[in-house]
Amino acid sequence: MRALGELSETRYWMYLLLLPSLVMILLVIAYPTLYGMAISFREMRLTRPGLGGWVGFKHYAAMWSDPVFWIALKNTVVWVTAAVVLELALGLLAATALNRDLPGTKIFAVLILLPYFLPNVVAGHMWALLLDPRLGVINDLLVRAGVLHTYKAWFADPNTALAATVLVEAWHGFPFFALLLLAGLKSIPEDLYKAAAVDGAGVPAQLRLITLPMLKTVIAAAVILRVIGLVNSPDLLLILTGGGPGDATQVLSLYAFQTAYKEFNFGYASALSVVMFVILMIFATAYIRLSRITKGDGDD
Amino acid sequence: MIESKRRRRVIANIATYLVLATLSMFCIGPMIWMFLTSLKYEADIVTQTMQYIPRRVTFDHYVAIWTQSGFPRLIANSLVVTFLTVTICVATGTLAAYAFSRFAFRGRTQLMLGYLVVRMFPAVMMIIPLYVVMRGVGLVDSRFGLALAYTSFLLPLFVWMLKGFFDSAPKELESAARIDGSTRLGAMVRIVMPLARNGLVASSVFIAIAAWNEFLFALMLTTGQGSRTWPVGLQLMVGEFQLPWGVLAAGGILSILPVIVLFAIVQRTMVQGLTAGAIKG
Repeated sequence: MRALGELSETRYWMYLLLLPSLVMILLVIAYPTLYGMAISFREMRLTRPGLGGWVGFKHYAAMWSDPVFWIALKNTVVWVTAAVVLELALGLLAATALNRDLPGTKIFAVLILLPYFLPNVVAGHMWALLLDPRLGVINDLLVRAGVLHTYKAWFADPNTALAATVLVEAWHGFPFFALLLLAGLKSIPEDLYKAAAVDGAGVPAQLRLITLPMLKTVIAAAVILRVIGLVNSPDLLLILTGGGPGDATQVLSLYAFQTAYKEFNFGYASALSVVMFVILMIFATAYIRLSRITKGDGDD
Repeated sequence: MIESKRRRRVIANIATYLVLATLSMFCIGPMIWMFLTSLKYEADIVTQTMQYIPRRVTFDHYVAIWTQSGFPRLIANSLVVTFLTVTICVATGTLAAYAFSRFAFRGRTQLMLGYLVVRMFPAVMMIIPLYVVMRGVGLVDSRFGLALAYTSFLLPLFVWMLKGFFDSAPKELESAARIDGSTRLGAMVRIVMPLARNGLVASSVFIAIAAWNEFLFALMLTTGQGSRTWPVGLQLMVGEFQLPWGVLAAGGILSILPVIVLFAIVQRTMVQGLTAGAIKG
């Protein structure tokens, strides 16, 4: 202990503090990541241990002519965009309402944040029960309200399957936006609104001229984090639909996972995830650039 | 003028409560429905006319999931994996968060950004090589191996969150202790840690919930009873035995119970830490 205390007085102390976590991260992230990129250039199938040679860009070329890849790419874009837009809208609504700090809102805040902390497995089956074609309570309510004539198999119909999964994802993910946007709203000084009100700006004008510009950074950060999370995690779709019916809800991350988990074709699965990663990187960079440019315009 | 302003405020307040009530219902309605389903007899679940309030109540489904499946075993495995993950994160992450918070050194910004960027790596991209590597060293189907895998995406998160809490602990007390002859290590353990105790608890709970809930890594990296966690076990039960809805609902309620309790206890500090990290970063 004494020796450690003395060690803490040297100028290398902070590096020593960082060492354990750095070793962990290099071991369980950096090395597997590089290894994974290497696998994408090799033939690797667990079912056929004899293979293992380098095949160059073979998997990437195969992807180009793989129709499922293009469907999955299209579905990923649609699914992520729809979910993020819906979650942002609901999150903004929730944050604005919570930010008024009326008595009793603390309880509402707890209830509204709760879904974000629930496991995908439970969230998925819970909604499968709610939307079930035979015993789903949502079907029952819609029929009673006269919206539907008969019960509907939401997840089995290619026309509604993707929309139904977006609804479940929005339920699960919008509290994240509510959380970040509420913190952003709290950091806007009250005086700005008072000054605007004196100048005769109504609520819509205040929203457009004060709230949204001040929230721009928070919105950008939240959208980026959420897009990354959504593109990367196939959990919910794996539980709800498994990509079906047909390939109606097949997305890139799920396709890559199934290629690895069901077909044990690790080479092709790795290539798929590398492509996914590159697309994400391009999106993130472009998005950050764009939101900076518009921010600069606002300052003039 | 004043009268109309007042009326407008009342209308706005009513609208606010309406929005909050509707959103809350949207959020917890499904959970309430699952809870009600878990209490109904199977015959009352599959009836022609929907029963909104169960006419009779039973705890059979809870007994069934606990005694007739490997559920206790799954829960025990999940507890071990969660505990190991939190231990690894706390042991290594606390030191890193402290270093990032208190010292200026070469490469600090780049390293912190690095800790952030690794979170962007697709889980699928890491699962495959992790599986191959862990199979090579005999860590597939091991609870320790799974905990190690969880560290890959939870440790960076933990460091960022905890750094925020360390940042907001006052530096004056630490300086005073140093002047009184305490070493850096002594100041860290005796002054800063106690000050940031709530933050440490909240960050650990956040990590614990994430590890407890995780599904994808567990599905790929566990193959047998020995290390399978509850999300995978529950999912496989649904697929294999065509699990009755009541039993599934009971399993769901049991497994989210610890999450809800922990969330309710530390939610304020946890929310603070989550937002602080995101706003500044």
